[in-house]
Amino acid sequence: MALIEVKNLCVEFPTRHATLKALRGVNFSIEKGERLGIVGESGAGKSLSAFAMLNLLSKPGRIAEGEILFEGQDLSKLNDDEMRSIRGNRISMIFQDPMMTLNPVLTIGTQMVETLQAHRKISKAAARLIAIDRLNEVRIPSAEERLESYPHELSGGMRQRVVIAIALLTEPVLIIADEPTTALDVTIQAEIMSLMLDLCKTHNVGLILITHDLAVVSQVTQKVIVMYAGRVVEQGATRAVIENPRHPYTRGLMAALPQQNTPGKRLFQIPGSMPTLDAMPDGCAFNPRCEHVGDDCRNKMPKLDSFEGHLVRCHKAEELQIKGEKS
Amino acid sequence: MSTEDKTPLVSVKDVHKVFDLGGHFLQKETPKVKAINDVSLNIAVGESFCLVGESGCGKSTLARTVMGLLKPSAGEIGYNGTRIDDLAHNERLPFHRNMQMIFQNPYASLNPRRSVQKTLEEPLRFHCPEMSNSAIKEKVEEVMVSVGNDPSWGARYPHEFSGGQRQRISIARALMVDPEFVVADEPISALDVSIQAQVLNVMMDAQEKRNLTYLFITHDLSVVEHFGSRVGVMYLGTLCELATTKTLFAKPRHPYTQVLLAAIPTLSCEEMTSTKSVGEVPSAMNLPTGCVFHNRCPFANERCKREVPRLRTLDDGAAVACHAVEEGRIES
Repeated sequence: MALIEVKNLCVEFPTRHATLKALRGVNFSIEKGERLGIVGESGAGKSLSAFAMLNLLSKPGRIAEGEILFEGQDLSKLNDDEMRSIRGNRISMIFQDPMMTLNPVLTIGTQMVETLQAHRKISKAAARLIAIDRLNEVRIPSAEERLESYPHELSGGMRQRVVIAIALLTEPVLIIADEPTTALDVTIQAEIMSLMLDLCKTHNVGLILITHDLAVVSQVTQKVIVMYAGRVVEQGATRAVIENPRHPYTRGLMAALPQQNTPGKRLFQIPGSMPTLDAMPDGCAFNPRCEHVGDDCRNKMPKLDSFEGHLVRCHKAEELQIKGEKS
Repeated sequence: MSTEDKTPLVSVKDVHKVFDLGGHFLQKETPKVKAINDVSLNIAVGESFCLVGESGCGKSTLARTVMGLLKPSAGEIGYNGTRIDDLAHNERLPFHRNMQMIFQNPYASLNPRRSVQKTLEEPLRFHCPEMSNSAIKEKVEEVMVSVGNDPSWGARYPHEFSGGQRQRISIARALMVDPEFVVADEPISALDVSIQAQVLNVMMDAQEKRNLTYLFITHDLSVVEHFGSRVGVMYLGTLCELATTKTLFAKPRHPYTQVLLAAIPTLSCEEMTSTKSVGEVPSAMNLPTGCVFHNRCPFANERCKREVPRLRTLDDGAAVACHAVEEGRIES
């Protein structure tokens, strides 16, 4: 049985004027210890999928359809109490900005002990020992002294390490990391990512990594989902998608990376920006920005079809393959 | 590539910047942050000079010092041969017109209560009071189009735009008064990868059309390879390597430059190898003795702990401040 299986997840926001469908039919599953990347621009619905999975949608957002089977149990049907025993315990979450995640008026130690005591019957002293253990694991020097520090005394990279340590406290089986390194420097990003990769492997923890950077995903995950305007546009094994991207959007994301371009020349760019939820174009949501657009694309929403082992939502997927590496 | 012999557009000479932290009146020595230590560099007309380094290395402080937002504690800033750091406010005004800045966070740098039109008109009304309303309107329209914005956006407010659009509005604001020199402080680090490319292209186009000179600040070396003609790598307030982009990427000399280069994630499908933790940047309040990088450097020896390395120019024009390179302990 898969560790977590998301089936046809749809999220909508009823508003005065219309019901906005923010997420339309996301499917994926993760085995124990497997790592999945969710990629897309801001507003594509990647964070929303994570929030929906953990029942963290803010009102008036709601899950309109679909199932989230975590170890066979449908998370979308649980009440708040039942959810609380899973969230932060069996499934942990790491957010983008560690300064916002940590409480600025409590010491690191207090926050770690609090987390453990919320989920387990454990003495303060025993909780502190586990906390020190975890801080060592995320390679924070002089862990015992650090328990007495306040978040503002630590650097950005150290703070994110503390957040990872807190996420690991309750020995979760799945970690959802929402842009964990976006707020950090490149050098620290590399360290944090390789640390997370190591920890996931040694603890056999599943990982859902949400990011806008395909390069990071290619080095960390085994599976990848590319999202655009609330829909999955490409999905499959990371290697298959990176080496043979079929959707023009995925190709665009890859080509826009500076290291994929000839130095000094104009960078490849995807023209325009993502449509808003209340102004979706007819047909394929990507068609106004797509260089391969045809009549079909303007009228009919393409289905998520299988091409050489991975799924692509594009009318032109077959043609694009023949053209081969273009960018 | 040698641009050093002409008068540089912007020259930074032996600049230091120390922030006094106040401290207690009974304390013998007030605590000080040494943000910039003895940095010298020249930027020639038409260059895109990039400053690279981690947070806290002093790159933004240097940019602000160049712009006159901060006063250097020692040293000189020159613009087109004139020393500008000691000028009085109204003597500086003509220089302000030629020097504009783009900030990192487009959510914070645009006034939320002012329409885009008002935001864009302000620099013109301030610097060119003689311009007529219709001329100002025309100018706004022209600049908006040149950075790929729809001129009809003028009536709207910043919150109605996405991050990339806002950053293009900030760029337009900087270009309103036809500056010669633009300082861009991490203009793309708050944006998505795909939007980064758009904004970089807009900046490169503007440079081509207007013959701009850029001082571009970033922590991401992969962007530099694209954008920069010359690169300065900063670490803890010190310039540790200065080279043309080509030379730097072909032959990174300083161990810190090598660390930065290795950190760029690549589309490789190779699993990330566990990088050994090189530790964090020490505090600028008590700088390490000798070479500031020695406690994170794999090549450090006794001399590095004792003696501050000077910037030495090598045969191919690159300048490196490193004992190991000088002694040939690192291949160069």
